[in-house]
Amino acid sequence: MKLSGIAASPGIGVGPAFVLESEELAVRDFKVPADQVEREIEFFDKALQLSSRDVAQLRDGIAAELSEDEAAIYDAHVMMLQDPELHRAVTEGIRATRRNAGVVFRDYMSGVAARLERVEDEYLRERHADVLDVERRVLRYLVGGGQRRVALPGPAVVIAHDIGPSDVAMLDRTKVLGVVTEVGSRTSHSAIVARGRGIPAVVGARGVIEHVKTGEMSLVDGFRGEVELNPDPDTVARYKARRARFDEDLLKLRDLREKPAQTLDGHRVDLGGNIELPSDVDEILAVGADGVGLFRTEFFYLDRAELPSEEEQFEAYRAVAEQIAPRPVIFRTMDLGGDKVASYLGTTHETNPFLGYRGIRFALLHPEVFRAQLRAIYRASAFGKVRLMFPMISILEELARATALCAEVAAELAATDVAFDPEIQIGMMVETPSAVWEADLLAKTAHFFSIGTNDLTQYTLAMDRDNARLSHLYEPLSPAVLRSIRHTVECGHRAGRWVGVCGEMAGDPRTAVLLLGMGVDELSMSSFDLPRVKAAIRSVTLSQAQQLSQEALQLPSAAEVRECLSCNLDPILPALALGVKDNA
Amino acid sequence: MDPRRVQVKEIECVIRNQMGLHVRSASKLSKVASKFKAEIFVSYGGLEVNAKSVLGVMMLAAEEGATIKFRAEGADEDQALAALKDLVDGKFGGEP
Repeated sequence: MKLSGIAASPGIGVGPAFVLESEELAVRDFKVPADQVEREIEFFDKALQLSSRDVAQLRDGIAAELSEDEAAIYDAHVMMLQDPELHRAVTEGIRATRRNAGVVFRDYMSGVAARLERVEDEYLRERHADVLDVERRVLRYLVGGGQRRVALPGPAVVIAHDIGPSDVAMLDRTKVLGVVTEVGSRTSHSAIVARGRGIPAVVGARGVIEHVKTGEMSLVDGFRGEVELNPDPDTVARYKARRARFDEDLLKLRDLREKPAQTLDGHRVDLGGNIELPSDVDEILAVGADGVGLFRTEFFYLDRAELPSEEEQFEAYRAVAEQIAPRPVIFRTMDLGGDKVASYLGTTHETNPFLGYRGIRFALLHPEVFRAQLRAIYRASAFGKVRLMFPMISILEELARATALCAEVAAELAATDVAFDPEIQIGMMVETPSAVWEADLLAKTAHFFSIGTNDLTQYTLAMDRDNARLSHLYEPLSPAVLRSIRHTVECGHRAGRWVGVCGEMAGDPRTAVLLLGMGVDELSMSSFDLPRVKAAIRSVTLSQAQQLSQEALQLPSAAEVRECLSCNLDPILPALALGVKDNA
Repeated sequence: MDPRRVQVKEIECVIRNQMGLHVRSASKLSKVASKFKAEIFVSYGGLEVNAKSVLGVMMLAAEEGATIKFRAEGADEDQALAALKDLVDGKFGGEP
């Protein structure tokens, strides 16, 4: 049977399913000795507490990557974990029956779930899934070793209702063939980790758990977001052929590893990798990146209960700087606030979070948190070629305040004889129309610009990129966005600054050629896209790219720009750069 | 109903959300109820539960159009009932 979901991480997976939720949560039933009853109750209380903590972290992660609205369901889960009747019934149950917490708790939850299952209204009946989710979570602490650890018996496609980013991060890469979940989105943390680790993934495949058992053949298409369960032999053969072609392309692309991203007439562009976790460096080095063009440091702040210390950050940043050296790494300072929140920093509801306290505004509002991060980055700069940049700068004053804080940190470190690189480049993201139009002023202070095309498109067009009803209009190739990029590049170059692009535009082979023609000096993208972009750049001349960009900038719509790119580039770009995503 | 004039400790409300008392609306109801010292019960379809218990409120399975009944006892009972009525009448702050 075939199920559709969201294509979360590219690649093809073929192999036996490993269903994660068939957990070993067999609850043993035993009598608690009289003198152990209070201890059993404490054990139960502790399990509730730990579960609440886990849900709160999950909630923050979801709120960060999706929205407060998506996270609200986890607030409800916390309420269930703190339900006074549940607590009273289980506590009294343990005292009265002297049975263990696991059994008493499970029986209570089964009673609730059973009643919900009988409800006629389909939507209301679905709530029973939430009750089960909460039940499993607590049982993991009561009978198991706490939060889930996934140990794969052999090569397998992991199928789960939901899987946490830490679970994906801990999956054995030599065994995991793919990941399929019932919930989640392309932007959820788990999907990002899967892409970073090159694990094919489909999320949001509703009902998948009900239709597959561990050991049954499963096929994952991470390009199209499709899953085949118990497929016929022809389908298996087709997937295997696609996987072979994909792997073959991958090998050819890996051949480009040592080759520079250079046009046919010798013009060199720097290709950086975007990373989320220190461990992602392996992957971008494997595809031959010229450095880390964007290290999103939010990972240190989200999905956890307390602030990361300066020391913890320093160790992580130093490891990345050392590993990537002599190539550069650009740390983007904390891009929190707005939709990315960490509850321990205390957040308030905003009616318009994308125009609210986010990015540099949030950092400047929490100077002590920001300072600790800057110190960690500066200290790491003694161990490699470190650069840093600020997110979401919209006016010069913000850049001036952030740069002043850097100067303070540098002075502090110098005064205490802590080593750092005094030549550290301090740049900024260009993501707002105001930054575009102040680019000439900003370039006097900023050592470089990195254009974040996702947010720049959203703010320039005033269109929410996560709004499904607008998604067909959200267009990075819009004339307004292209002109903003051109203006930024011109202002940067006039001041002698280099200009990069680190949004999704940089990772599209055709658009990358367009950006090259517009004079962009550096492109940063995922490790998946990098070799394809390199292949594209190596098959054009700079003057071809320049001509193309001149033509494209005259066109009145994104559709015509796209058409122009295809007409001009498809005949000259290698199939390798273009065809992989749809090699049916 | 003007809460200042109401002396009763029981009120009725009609669920107007299309999806009824689902997980999120139930958790909002319990959250509001938990802010008050009074003991608060809510009933529907022959079942009465502690309004501060989200699992209990979910078990009511009250769909759109259902009339649920609140009963409160305690010092702040009037405020509690008024707050709960506002919540239900306001469709739980915009829940579907």
